[in-house]
Amino acid sequence: MAPPSGPPGVTPSMIRAPPSQLGQTPLPGSPLSNAPPYIAPPPGRPMGAPAPYMANPNPNPNPNPVSQPPQAGPPAAAAQPNPVMGLAASLQNSMIGTPASQSFASRPFPSTAQRPVSVPFSGSLNQNPLGSKGSGPFPGQPASQPYPGPPALASQPVRGPPQLFPGQIVGQPPMGQPPMGQPPMGQPPMGQLHMGQPQMGLGPMGPPSMAAPPMGAPPMGSAAAPFSGSAWQGQQRQGGMLAPVRMAPAGMGQQSMVSTPGAVMGYSPHAGAQVGTPSKIDPNQIPRPVPSSNSSVVYFETRQGSVVSPPPPATSDFIVRDTGNCSPRLMRCTMNQIPCNGEILTQSCMPLALMVQPFALPHPSEEPIQLVDFGEMGPVRCVRCKAYINPFMRFIDQGRRFVCNLCGFCNDTPRDYICNLGPDMRRRDADERPELCRGTVEFVATKEFMVREPMPAVYFFLVDVSMNAVGTGATAAACSAISQAISDIPEGPQTMVGIATFDSTIHFYNLKRSQQQPVMLIVPDVEDVYTPLQTDLIVPLGECREALEQLLESIPSMYQTNKIADSAFGAAIKAGFLALKPTGGKLLVFQSVLPSLGIGSLSSREAEGRTNVSNADKEPHKLLQPADKTLKTMAVEFAEYQVCIDVFLMTQTYVDIASISVVPSTTGGQIYYYYPFSAVSDPAKLYNDLRWNLSRPQGFEAVMRVRCSQGLQVQEYSGNFCKRVPTDIDLPAIDSDKTIMVTFKHDDKFQEGAECGFQCAILYTTVHGQRRIRVMNLSLPCTTVLGNLFRSADLDSQFSCFLKKAANGIPTTPLTQVREQIVNHCINILGSYRKFCASISSSGQLILPEALKLLPLYTLALIKSVGLRNDGRLDDRSYWASHVASISASLAVPLVYPRLISIHDLTSMEEGDSVLPAPVALSSEYLSDEGVFLLENGEDALIYVGGMVNPEILQKLFGSPSLEGVPSQLVLQQFDNDLSKKFNEVINEIRRQRCSYLRLRLCKKGEPSGMCFHSYMVEDKAPGSLSYVEFLVHVHRQIQIQTKSN
Amino acid sequence: MSEFLDLEVQDGVRMTWNVLPGTKQDAAACVIPAAAIYTPLKPIPDIPLLPYTPLRCRICRAVLSPFSVVDYTAKIWACPFCFQRNHFPQHYFSISEENLPAELFPQYSTIEYASVADTNPIMPPVFMFVVDTCMIEEEIGYLKSALAQAVELLPEKALVGLITFGTFVQVHELGFGILPKLYVFKGTKEVTKEQILDQMGFFSGKKKPTVGVIAGSRDGLSAESISRFLLPVSECEFVLNSVIEELQKDPWPVPADLRSSRCTGAALSVAAAILGVCVPGSGARIMAFVGGPSTEGPGAIVSKTLTDPIRSHKDLDKGSVPFFDKAVKFYEGLSKQLVHQGHVLDLFACALDQVGVAEMKVAIERTGGIVVLAESFGHAVFKDSLLRIFQSGEHDLGLCFNGIFEVNCSKDLKIQGILGPCASLEKKGPLCSDTVVGQGSTTAWKMCGLDRKTSLCLVFDIARQGGPEALGPPASNQFYFQFLTYYQHHDGRMRLRVTTLSRRWVAGPGNVEELTAGFDQEAAAAVMARLVSFKMENEDDFDPIRWLDRSLIRLCSKFGDYQKENPSSFTLSPRLSIFPQFIFNLRRSQFVQVFNNSPDETAYFRMVLDRENVASAVVMIQPSLIAYSFQSAAEPVLLDVTAIAVDRILLLDSYFTVVVFHGTSIAQWRNAGYHNQPEHAAFAQLLKAPRDDADVIIKERFPVPRLVICDQYGSQARFLLAKLNPSVTYNSSNPPTPGGDVIFTDDVSFEVFMDHLRRLAVQ
Repeated sequence: MAPPSGPPGVTPSMIRAPPSQLGQTPLPGSPLSNAPPYIAPPPGRPMGAPAPYMANPNPNPNPNPVSQPPQAGPPAAAAQPNPVMGLAASLQNSMIGTPASQSFASRPFPSTAQRPVSVPFSGSLNQNPLGSKGSGPFPGQPASQPYPGPPALASQPVRGPPQLFPGQIVGQPPMGQPPMGQPPMGQPPMGQLHMGQPQMGLGPMGPPSMAAPPMGAPPMGSAAAPFSGSAWQGQQRQGGMLAPVRMAPAGMGQQSMVSTPGAVMGYSPHAGAQVGTPSKIDPNQIPRPVPSSNSSVVYFETRQGSVVSPPPPATSDFIVRDTGNCSPRLMRCTMNQIPCNGEILTQSCMPLALMVQPFALPHPSEEPIQLVDFGEMGPVRCVRCKAYINPFMRFIDQGRRFVCNLCGFCNDTPRDYICNLGPDMRRRDADERPELCRGTVEFVATKEFMVREPMPAVYFFLVDVSMNAVGTGATAAACSAISQAISDIPEGPQTMVGIATFDSTIHFYNLKRSQQQPVMLIVPDVEDVYTPLQTDLIVPLGECREALEQLLESIPSMYQTNKIADSAFGAAIKAGFLALKPTGGKLLVFQSVLPSLGIGSLSSREAEGRTNVSNADKEPHKLLQPADKTLKTMAVEFAEYQVCIDVFLMTQTYVDIASISVVPSTTGGQIYYYYPFSAVSDPAKLYNDLRWNLSRPQGFEAVMRVRCSQGLQVQEYSGNFCKRVPTDIDLPAIDSDKTIMVTFKHDDKFQEGAECGFQCAILYTTVHGQRRIRVMNLSLPCTTVLGNLFRSADLDSQFSCFLKKAANGIPTTPLTQVREQIVNHCINILGSYRKFCASISSSGQLILPEALKLLPLYTLALIKSVGLRNDGRLDDRSYWASHVASISASLAVPLVYPRLISIHDLTSMEEGDSVLPAPVALSSEYLSDEGVFLLENGEDALIYVGGMVNPEILQKLFGSPSLEGVPSQLVLQQFDNDLSKKFNEVINEIRRQRCSYLRLRLCKKGEPSGMCFHSYMVEDKAPGSLSYVEFLVHVHRQIQIQTKSN
Repeated sequence: MSEFLDLEVQDGVRMTWNVLPGTKQDAAACVIPAAAIYTPLKPIPDIPLLPYTPLRCRICRAVLSPFSVVDYTAKIWACPFCFQRNHFPQHYFSISEENLPAELFPQYSTIEYASVADTNPIMPPVFMFVVDTCMIEEEIGYLKSALAQAVELLPEKALVGLITFGTFVQVHELGFGILPKLYVFKGTKEVTKEQILDQMGFFSGKKKPTVGVIAGSRDGLSAESISRFLLPVSECEFVLNSVIEELQKDPWPVPADLRSSRCTGAALSVAAAILGVCVPGSGARIMAFVGGPSTEGPGAIVSKTLTDPIRSHKDLDKGSVPFFDKAVKFYEGLSKQLVHQGHVLDLFACALDQVGVAEMKVAIERTGGIVVLAESFGHAVFKDSLLRIFQSGEHDLGLCFNGIFEVNCSKDLKIQGILGPCASLEKKGPLCSDTVVGQGSTTAWKMCGLDRKTSLCLVFDIARQGGPEALGPPASNQFYFQFLTYYQHHDGRMRLRVTTLSRRWVAGPGNVEELTAGFDQEAAAAVMARLVSFKMENEDDFDPIRWLDRSLIRLCSKFGDYQKENPSSFTLSPRLSIFPQFIFNLRRSQFVQVFNNSPDETAYFRMVLDRENVASAVVMIQPSLIAYSFQSAAEPVLLDVTAIAVDRILLLDSYFTVVVFHGTSIAQWRNAGYHNQPEHAAFAQLLKAPRDDADVIIKERFPVPRLVICDQYGSQARFLLAKLNPSVTYNSSNPPTPGGDVIFTDDVSFEVFMDHLRRLAVQ
């Protein structure tokens, strides 16, 4: 580990950290980590773990785990009544009775604590079953436990633990703890999540939610803040999983300290006792993301000798030093140790996948990727598997031969490339040659990598000028955006541009004429499209800049009176494609209405769906599939000729994104969605999006392939590309924002201690017309220990993986099923952990692996996300799905679990703090009526204004003491006051982080916009969905069911 | 002869037989069919223009004419065609023998009506320029300047549109002021009116009516949407000029081994569709300027591969013309559409190569279009012809639109059809003969475009059966003809010209002399020329020489004066005497000897023949030759090689070409510059005289003929030699006169021809 680099705060973490590593072996006592134990238990259960889990053997009436929760809540009464009691019992158990708990107590400090996070509720669930008067579902076991301490425990345990959550122990015990402890008194029983029971049959669910508020308050003051922040971190460190990197500031440290004990407490019955009488689970203590922004930048070395450090979280701020493995920004694996065989992987239920973002933006302080030119020889490659030379290729025989790290073949070193080996058996020149010491390098491509001259950078703009587009200002916005953005296009002799507009016909412009105005050339036949000229439609930017600018200026007025409502989108892109066909290039389409004419025209299916209710009800997801194959077929052809299409949808109506999105997703492009389009607020975003689109690091006519060591093979690629041969993917364009997910499966075994190598090679043409090969290498140790897998799990990647899988499922699977699958994934993983790595602990505890402790929260957020909500507009959901398909790991989490920060008190932040205040949990409890909050998910930014905000604050922020008349689609202004300045700084910082301009929306309490805002409060209970606490209870129960059933 | 000319002056009609054979059998025996060549808009001095609608027979709709029998007291007139008695309407009640309306004046057998009641707005003429851009820059330059000149001459109110084409068709939206804006259509596809309506935004912002004919402003198109493409010259002159000024060679690259991709057919189809959408029914011309063969899309005449030659007459004969039939079919379709819309297709084909006139002929001829064939857009033939179209003045063409031509005749006559620039309106009636020639089986024809010289050749069938009863005392031995021509005068108003004729008929044997007296051999030659052309194009395995010879022999047998089997006794009446010479020259003319010409040229010659009057036709068949020398004043000489002499200047007018031919001595003198010396003013005058006469010819002729000035033994002299009777050839026994010339040909001379004729006629 690279501990030293960290800030002072590090130290403490360090201390804890070590255990983590050791952790596995160490504490015999700890139920969690030890591999052996796990393994042992499994015997009973077949490896195929997931399956058993899924199929809840439980007699539960509800087959779907998912479905249960809701039921559980309200009606739960029936089943749970018992729980009540049970809960109490269970809790206690965990707290008190269980040896485990004790052990925990001890652990945390010393070592292991980290991984398993026991959730408070755990208990409750069990109990329900058990305790519940034999309410069947849960096998007997719980029963036994609960009993132990039932009554007494009930009250105490619950409260005591509260804070603990932090890292590991989600276990309820922690919850109750200190903070909670005191206040809850009265309610004890109720308070707890599970608790509710004591009394009557109230569903355990019910109570928790209820409980929340009361709880919330007390903790807030004292505990809440600290916990959220530091506490977690602290624990994480212990886990060892988390990079030492982020050290908590001093202050934090303390807190964390505090919390830690808390956590400990939680586990131990004693703790509970100390705490007092917590009745409820404190929502403050459940696992929540660590605010990253406050911590200083972390330095991360990808390898230290043979040690591979797990990368810092994708969302955090870190600086990478490439010491053999590529930067985690470029490639990130769902687990930082590779299972030696398929069985272990299956058992873990975790996905094995790489998130590849080949052009990810580096941190400004990182070293640039080095370019290596092998001259005519071309890059050295393995003769057999064609892998490129990399630091993991082993040179032998005095350097005359080398062994491929992927296929194991022994190659002769090319004569010119031979170099002696040093005593360390490395080539003596290894450190001077980037390809031998860096995880990522670029090779200059030789002729054999080119089927033709590298293409120039070509940008073709297509602007909708139909009646609505002009009327809503979309056309004007597009023209002005293009006009401004072209000045940012990297101008070389190679840069070419062209433009066309379209309504029911397609209008090209010949920009070539040196002397005067461009000529407008209209292609009227939108069923059988063609380009009106072979040349001159696309001309070097330098030659036509002025003409183009003038044209863009006059287009809006030219079509001001356009009465043509139809829009031939399909034909237009086809025409644009034909213009680009000789060279390839980027086609940027600005579309405003449903394509109603010509090739690939679409019908308003949304309306059909509405009127034809029966049909829509049966298979609503059909409307999320492309209407037909036309656009797909076209898109494949586009991709073949290296044409990438980006679509900017500036609309106020349904445009059938489900169908349209096929085009960008197949051609390596993306969709930008401005709905409802506002001519006032959106042009700025449009301009920024376009500018970024054109100026971000990118490449053209790319081909990408991922190779891996023998033992694994690529199972599937997913993202925005076109695939014509099984091994490679074609990317007409690839840019810094696009991520491609690559999943793997085992086809052989690895030796323990071996390393598994991954190599992603992407052959592309730079914007300056140079052909390059970017090669990224990642070599990870293999393990047969399941616990190692969990310890090395990468939450961000795994969650991205789930997210993408969910998005993929949206068009083809009924929504409930998609959600069910997601929840099952989560349950299965946690179940596997529980079963194999934490089996010793009481079943009354929900134990979460440290690295994945946030998985339940994110899973909950995911099933509540726009794409998976029943009430979402079709287009919103389709857009969401298409957006997700190429989203990077660093943006995946914020998308579903947005960042919420308070604005009204920005000025109270101290100098020296980072620009962004610490985020607040996504729960209504944290919203105050006097406050102004900003919620952002990388796409949208909602500004929530409470009902009783000081007019002075409003005046400062919005320039008006009341929000009357302030449009909800806000244009942010900077006023001459501190608050406004800070607010602008915040927004700008977020924009920078997200590489996105954000659509600002004003949400006022008590208005529909406010409701919209509340839909992002994922921890809240909402009609038809669980609160976070309830969800944890549900997950726990399902895990128990699984465990029992086996 | 002169009386025929007088008749022509009065009515614009020349008939082959001015005394008609009275029965079917007689007519058959007369060999030359009864036919009339009628020039509907022939300028007739002092023709009255009646400002009211004509009075028509209740039954046959014939118009009241001087041949109607009027009962002044009963105020009744009898129709000479159907014998129906019609009452005069109220406003004719003041009629009396002393107070006749103009239409009853005997001298006004041709008269015009222009109804003042016509309140429809005057539609200005529409000109749609369709311009080829697949040409070398030089040609484009010529074309640009010609077009620019034409634009200047366009009537101010005329609507004008512009289409350019090459690989694609570009429709210029002249009414769009901001940028040069054009609609680009694929060259490989025909375009329908519906597509134009849908694709060119004619219904922008409005729902397209689901039913009914949608076209023109009367039918729901907004004037603005039309005025995007067609607008008054005065309003778009600037834009139009700048577009023309910037015309450039078609930008699509052409590989060296290929022809340019030129989609003439698609361009014309687009032009027709736009006119059909915008101005159906009102006078409009598509003026196509084509600089090469169509190689793309509908109407292509040849493949793009340069090694594939363009079809020749030989290929046509053999039927090995993969493109021809398809192209003709396409243009037939186009002609139907244009006729339906009342629009004209004019073609200006200027290329060294063929451009497909033969294929387009059907569309040009049926719509009454003008065709001009030249080698280059820089050639005077093209430039001057184009100017002539728009020039007003003494020799203007008097372009009129939207003509409908109808015929009434006595019931014993039937109409086989019309050879000439018109299209059948398929109005069948008892007047239609079963035998069809040209546009037949109808009594009404559409003449989308017509001018003062347009001449139709009507071919009649004498239907009266011979027989005892027929030979009885006839009620009247007059046949009546009435030609009605409705047309849009170039002032924009609709007019009706009525020509009513009466011709005596004779029947039975013994009337040869009377028939002979009424025989108009020039008209007959013109009719035979049109007929033989028609048959060559439409009858398989037709042998024109044989057909002409047999016709001539039979005619001579019937009307000649001879003793049987005695060739030397053979004589012909003056009425027929030069007819054999016409036939001799017709046999040698470009109409029959097509193999000297490309199919395009043949089509061109025939189209011009088919629209010209008798006098012009005669010149085409048998050119006139005038000799100029010091010995005598200018005098017509025989069209014979012996006319050539070293000290003569010959002026040959073969209609399409005017040749000024200098004898060797003249040429030498001229080369020596004598005409510049004051003492040789006479020589200067001699040189100038034929040139002046040629200018006169050129000035009044349309299309403007090609002027060839050549010297004896010069290469250009072939234009003269080809037309001369080869009385002296390289193997003649009689040597040429000194300074004379020989013709290198195996063709028979006129003398040999006559010998044979005499011999065969008397058998």
